[in-house]
Amino acid sequence: MLSRPLTLPLALLLAAALVITLFPVFWIVMTAIKPPTDWNAAPAVWLPSEPTLVNFKTLFDPTALKAYGLSGVSQPATPSMLGSILASIVATGLSILIGLFAAIGLSRYATMTKATPLMILSGRMFPPAAIAVPFVIIFSVTNVIDTYSGLIAIYVAVTLPFSTWMLKSFIDDLPREIEEAAMLDGRSRLMAHLTVTIPLVKGGLFATTMFIFILNWSEFMFALVLSYTNVTTIPVQLAKYVTATAGTLYGVQAALAVLAMLPLVIGGFMIQSHLARGMTFGAVKR
Amino acid sequence: MTLHAPPEVQRPAVMLPSSPAAAPARRPAGNLGIARFFAVPGQIVSLTVLVMPLLVALYMSFTDWSPTRGSLFDAAFVGFENYAELLVYDTRFLEAVIRTVLISATCLMLEFTLGLGLAVLFLREFRGKAILFSAFLTPMMILPVVVGYTFWMLFQSNGPINQIIALIAGPGAMPEWFRSAPLAVATVIITEVWHWTPLFFLILLSGLNAVPENPVRAAVILGASPRQVFWQVVLPMLKPVIIVAFVIRAMEIIKLFDEVFMLTRGGPGSATETISLYIYKLAFNDFQLAYGAAAAFLVLIGTLVIINLMLLPVRDQLLEARR
Repeated sequence: MLSRPLTLPLALLLAAALVITLFPVFWIVMTAIKPPTDWNAAPAVWLPSEPTLVNFKTLFDPTALKAYGLSGVSQPATPSMLGSILASIVATGLSILIGLFAAIGLSRYATMTKATPLMILSGRMFPPAAIAVPFVIIFSVTNVIDTYSGLIAIYVAVTLPFSTWMLKSFIDDLPREIEEAAMLDGRSRLMAHLTVTIPLVKGGLFATTMFIFILNWSEFMFALVLSYTNVTTIPVQLAKYVTATAGTLYGVQAALAVLAMLPLVIGGFMIQSHLARGMTFGAVKR
Repeated sequence: MTLHAPPEVQRPAVMLPSSPAAAPARRPAGNLGIARFFAVPGQIVSLTVLVMPLLVALYMSFTDWSPTRGSLFDAAFVGFENYAELLVYDTRFLEAVIRTVLISATCLMLEFTLGLGLAVLFLREFRGKAILFSAFLTPMMILPVVVGYTFWMLFQSNGPINQIIALIAGPGAMPEWFRSAPLAVATVIITEVWHWTPLFFLILLSGLNAVPENPVRAAVILGASPRQVFWQVVLPMLKPVIIVAFVIRAMEIIKLFDEVFMLTRGGPGSATETISLYIYKLAFNDFQLAYGAAAAFLVLIGTLVIINLMLLPVRDQLLEARR
């Protein structure tokens, strides 16, 4: 449609947009490799005077900054990394499993009422702040506050609308005749779904899994209010560095931020062609 | 003159509500067992996450409970006192609501405009399109907390943004972004727009690419200028995609919390306090849980109503099994 070449002014516009898009990413990566003297220098230092990995080291070994005459941080960031990995992976697995079942049910069987998918979608409309308050109460009463099981349960619940809708959109793309052929071969409905439907949506399953992982890995608010000492995740740790040190450890925080966004940027590009589908609950297909 | 068979129309990116005849014949009843088997786990989870907190919040909001006063069940019942306080006297709450709506509306309009502009640029022919496309999607793949932290660094008084401003307007022009209320709001909007314009770009571009060529060709043959083609032919066909993009983003931005928490913590004063941030502070800084629950309940109901109203035009589209 309307294929015309890019004129020079438009090319300059595009270049400006590209610079604005990438500059913050450039800044955080540069800050992560700046030595402490460059962190908050005035005027700001754009390229590290002496690139270093000390900020990354500090995440694992709180005393690493001693080489620069700083006392360093009070605790390593490793528990938060393990916490993020545990919570994200388990919650993603469960969300995909339950979502896959719901998606098959929604896509293939008429018995569900029209309201069911909308009800599932409603789960996504609730502001986390609003459900966090009652959840803190429920969790305190049932004693799952500050445990990974509690956090994981919430993550499954809030990502379920996404996993269900995204998987449903992939299953909708499959002609149902394929499963029916398997059923004619004598397989039960359940076996037909397990051996035919699921292998056929492998690609979609991978994209959805990655997408749900991104959502869980990024989650901040629930982790913030439902964790005290046992449970911590990278976003919470990042926020804590800011409060605890009044923003004096720019480089260390930036290093943690870079580590936090690395898996997401890689994963995001891997499922790039499915991002629109995921974000729009399958309404936009490409 | 030969009659041509109607050319294959490209499948639009967003499916229009399909007519009943076109809807796939779903398996009729008689498979209740297996349908339940598939549906029940999801239903249990969504009931737990929807109904249970709603009921707890509702009950709590009629009491004066706070964690220092022992068990929730011993708390005194105060009727609608919390709600009356919120709706009539609590200007901070009402301000937070208005502020969130205004910030959201501003961000959505900016994101839509910039995203559409960028998507239109991508309809042109140029080299390296694939890699630039990926580059422009980068912001939306970054964690909100990291985005907030990054922009907090960028907007420091001796940060790179002020450095650039000093270069252009002289050192006297460097603003203290987080000390002035309007500038703090601006940092929130700029951050949010940077973070989520790529989503509009992505959705709108896939919509633009799926616009069928024939109406466009016809308009061109009939003498329409490129501008007319865009505004009068392409954009109307894009309407369902645009609505979906707005609804999806509205659902998310109304919850705005992470970026603001990292950028300003709602400050200076309460100049950037969003609803989510206000409820968070009420419940977890001031431990006014019952009052916070009342606020949470009002916000839940309000959000549900607003989003469902916005969903009305695209409801069927989201619901139908699309083939």
